[in-house]
Amino acid sequence: MEDHSKEKQHIVSYKENFGTWLGLMLLTALTVAVSVANASLITLTVVTALVIATTKAILVAYYFMHLKFDHKLYRIMLLIITLLFSSFMLLTIVDYLSR
Amino acid sequence: MAHFVLPNSGHNYDPESSKLGMWLFLFTEILLFGGLFIVYFVYRTINSDAFLRASYELNITMGTINTIILITSSMTVAMAITALQKGKEKFAINLLWITLLFAIAFLINKYFEWSIKIEHGIFPGMEHYNGLETGQKLYFFLYYFMTGLHALHIIVGAIFIGFVIKGIQEGNVTADRISLLENSGLYWHLVDLIWIYLFPLFYLIN
Amino acid sequence: MSESLSTDLNFFQVKKGIISWLFSLDHKRIGLMYLYAIISFFLVGVTLGLLMRLELIAPGETIMKAKTYNQTFTLHGVIMIFLFIIPSIPAIFGNFFLPIMLGTDDVALPKLNLLSWWLYVIGALFALSTLVFGDGPADTGWTFYAPYSVQTNTNVTMSVMAAFILGFSSILTGLNFIVTIHRLRAPGMGWFQMPLFAWSLYATSWIQLLATPIIGITLLMIVAERAFGVGLFDPAIGGDPILYQHLFWIYSHPAVYIMALPAMGIISEIIPTFAKRSIFGYKAIAYSSMAIAFVGYFVWGHHMFTSGMSGSARIIFSVLTFMVAIPTAIKVFNWVATMYKGSIDLQPPMLYAMAFIFQFMIGGLTGLVLAALAADIHLHDTYFVVGHFHYVMFGGTGFAMFGGMHYWFPKIWGRMYNIKIAKFAFALLVLGFNMLYFPMLILGLMGMPRRYYDYLPQFTDLNVLSTVGSWILAIGLITMLVNLINGMRKGAPAGRNPWGSISLEWQTKSPPPLENFDKQPELNEGGPYNYKN
Ligand code: HEM
Ligand SMILES: [Cu+2]
Repeated sequence: MEDHSKEKQHIVSYKENFGTWLGLMLLTALTVAVSVANASLITLTVVTALVIATTKAILVAYYFMHLKFDHKLYRIMLLIITLLFSSFMLLTIVDYLSR
Repeated sequence: MAHFVLPNSGHNYDPESSKLGMWLFLFTEILLFGGLFIVYFVYRTINSDAFLRASYELNITMGTINTIILITSSMTVAMAITALQKGKEKFAINLLWITLLFAIAFLINKYFEWSIKIEHGIFPGMEHYNGLETGQKLYFFLYYFMTGLHALHIIVGAIFIGFVIKGIQEGNVTADRISLLENSGLYWHLVDLIWIYLFPLFYLIN
Repeated sequence: MSESLSTDLNFFQVKKGIISWLFSLDHKRIGLMYLYAIISFFLVGVTLGLLMRLELIAPGETIMKAKTYNQTFTLHGVIMIFLFIIPSIPAIFGNFFLPIMLGTDDVALPKLNLLSWWLYVIGALFALSTLVFGDGPADTGWTFYAPYSVQTNTNVTMSVMAAFILGFSSILTGLNFIVTIHRLRAPGMGWFQMPLFAWSLYATSWIQLLATPIIGITLLMIVAERAFGVGLFDPAIGGDPILYQHLFWIYSHPAVYIMALPAMGIISEIIPTFAKRSIFGYKAIAYSSMAIAFVGYFVWGHHMFTSGMSGSARIIFSVLTFMVAIPTAIKVFNWVATMYKGSIDLQPPMLYAMAFIFQFMIGGLTGLVLAALAADIHLHDTYFVVGHFHYVMFGGTGFAMFGGMHYWFPKIWGRMYNIKIAKFAFALLVLGFNMLYFPMLILGLMGMPRRYYDYLPQFTDLNVLSTVGSWILAIGLITMLVNLINGMRKGAPAGRNPWGSISLEWQTKSPPPLENFDKQPELNEGGPYNYKN
C-alpha cells in the first residue's frame, strides 16, 4: 500500500452525516411500507427488501464508515468479500434448489 | 547503535495499520453472521410457508423503532468523529454519550420483545414452542440466535465506546490520535449494518 | 558488516525468566513458544496414532475397545488438525521470520499477536480437558458430523469450543500478517520484491481470516443444538445434516490450503538457496498462491459426493476441484525447473524439500482420483482417503515444516545440528512414512473402510506392514528431535549465513537481536532470489 498516512484526513461534515441519516430513514420507511402493503407478493418483497437493505448498507459503508474517502484498497477488499460470501450462499443454495 | 530504530517499525503508532486491522476483523464478523444467513436462507427455501407464518408473530413496530434507534446512533458516532477531528472534545463526548443511551434503549426494547415471546411460551423447550411445526421452530430459534448474537455485539460495541469516552477525557484520544474512536465507530457501524439485514429478513418477510 | 557487535545481546538474552517469555511481545519469542507447544502436541498426536496402528496390527480387538478407538482417532484428528498442522508453519516460522524477511522489527500489531498465542493456549487446555472431564473425549471424528455429534454423550461441547477458540487464534494471526505485509515492508520492497514465503503467508492469511469464522459459527450452532435440543441439523427434529456438512467444509476445505500454502512457501525458500539459482517463475509462484487460495474456496462439496447432495451440485464441485490442481502443478513445475541444471547441495533442508515434492505429489494426485465422481463412490470413507490426506498433511506440510526447522535452525539458535545424523533421521522418516501410508492407499482400493478398530482377515498383511512402518517413522522422529535438541544446546556456532542464502533474514546476526537488525537491511538488487547463476 502506498504511504498515505501523512495525507490530511478528509473530515466528513455534519451535514453529510445528517444527509446520510435522512437517506437511511427514508429507505427504512420504504421497506416497511412495501412490506406492510404488499402482503401477497412474497418473492418480490424479499428481493426488494434485500435490494433496499443493500442500498442502506452501501450508504452506511460509504459515508459513516468513510469508505468513500479512504484508500480504494478498502473498497476492493469489501467488494471481494461480498462476492466471496455471495458465492458461498449461491453454491449452497444451488444444491437445495436442484435436489 | 543500540538506538537504531527501523523506519518501518511495528511499534510505531500507525493509525493506518489499526484501521486495516479493524476492517479485516469486520470481514470476519461479516462471515461469522454470514454462516447464520446461509442457514437462514436454506431453511427459508425449504420451509417458506412456515417461515412466513412465524414471522407474523414478530412486532413490526418494535423492530422499526429499533432500526431507527440504531441508524441514529450510527449517525451520532459518525458525528463524534467529525467533532473530534475539529477539536471539539466536549461535543464529541456528548455525542458518544447519546450513542450509549441509544444502545441501552435498543437493548431494553429487545428485552421486552424477547420477554413477550417467552411469556407466550415461544422458546425452545417451552410448551407452545414444542407444539409448533418444524419450520416455525427453526425460524424462532434462528431469530433468538441471530438477534442474541447481535445484541451481544451491541454490548461489546458499547463497552468500546465507553473506553473511547474515557480516552478523550484523559486526553489519550485526540484529533491526532483518533484511531480508537475511528475503530470503535467502524465496529459500531458494522453492528448497524448487520441489523439492516436482520430487520427485513425477520420482521418484514411477508 | 562488522562482527564487532558480538557484545550486543540477542533476543534470548535481553530478558530472562518464564514471565518474560509468556508475556513477550517479541514476535521471535512468540514464534518459539508456538514451536515448543506445537511440537509437544504433535508428539501427543503421534502417540495416539501409534496406538491406533497397534490396535490395527491384527483383526479383532487388540489393545482397545471400539469406543476407545473412536475417541482415539477423534482426539488424534482434533489435535493434529487444530493444534498442530493449522497453526504450525504460520504461527512458528511466520511469526519468527515474516518480520525479518520484510526487514522490520515486529509484526504490525504485537499485542494482538500475544493475544493469539494466549487463545491458542486456552483452546489447547479446552481440548485436553475433554480427557478428564465428563464422559471422555468426543467420539465423532474430527469432523463432528451432525446428527451424531448432537446425540452422543461424550464431551463434544468442550471439543467444539476448543476448536472455536483455536479458530480465533488462527484468525488473529492471519489478520496480523496481512496488516504487517501491507504496512511494514522495508523501504523499497515492493510486492514483487517480497520473498515467496511472505507471499504464501499472505494468501494463507486471507483464508484464515475469511474461512475460519464460518466454522466458528457452525460449531456454536452445534453447541446450541446440544444445549436447547433444537433441530438445526438433526433430521429427526427438522434439521438438515447436509447443511452442517456444507458449512463445515466451507471452512475445512480451504483449511487444507492453510496447511499447504505455507509449506509451499518454505519449499520456495529452500530450493533456490540449495540450488544456488534464482527461482524459476517468481511471479507465477506468487500468483498461483493467490489462485489456490481463491479457487480453494469453491471446492468444498467434494467431501460430500456420497452424502446426498444434488447431482448438479456434485458435478459443479467436481469440476471446480480439478481446477485447483492447475496452480498447484504450476508450482511443482517451477520448483523442478529451478533445480534443473542448478548446483544442488544436498543438505538436510533440501532433502526434506525434495521429499515434500514427491510425497505431496502422491497426495495431490490421489486427491484427483477422489475428485472424480465415479471413483469417489467406491473410495469415499475408505483407507484410500486416510492415505491421501496423510500424504498431503504429513508427507507434505509435516515434511516441509521439518525442512523449515532444519533450514532456519542456525538462524534461530545460532548453532548447527549434526548434519550426518540429520540425514540419517531423514532417511528413516521417508522410509517409515511411505511404509506406513502407502499400504493404506492399496487397502482403500481393496475396500477397507476407515474409522473402524477391526477389519476383515484378508487385509491383515498390509496392515502389519503399515504398523511396522509407523515404528520406523517413530524412531526417525525421535532421532531427528534428539539431534536438533543436541544442536540447540551444544552445536558449533553457525554464523550469520551458513547456507549462503541471499534473503534478508540471513543478513542479521544468529540469533537475531531483539530489534532484528542492527542497521538498515540492504535489499538484494533484482529481487530476493537473484543468485549469480
Ligand atoms: C505417526 C504418525 C501418525 C500415525 C501413526 C497416524 C495414524 C492414523 C490412523 C491409523 C488414522 C485412521 C483412523 C481410522 O480411520 O480408523 C488416522 C487418522 C487421522 N490422522 Fe493420523 N497419523 C499420524 C500422523 C498424523 C498427522 C501428522 C496428521 C495431521 C497433520 C494426522 C491427521 C489425521 C486425521 C485428521 C485423521 C482423521 C481422524 C478422523 O477420522 O476423524 N495424522 N491417523
Ligand atoms: Cu477438500
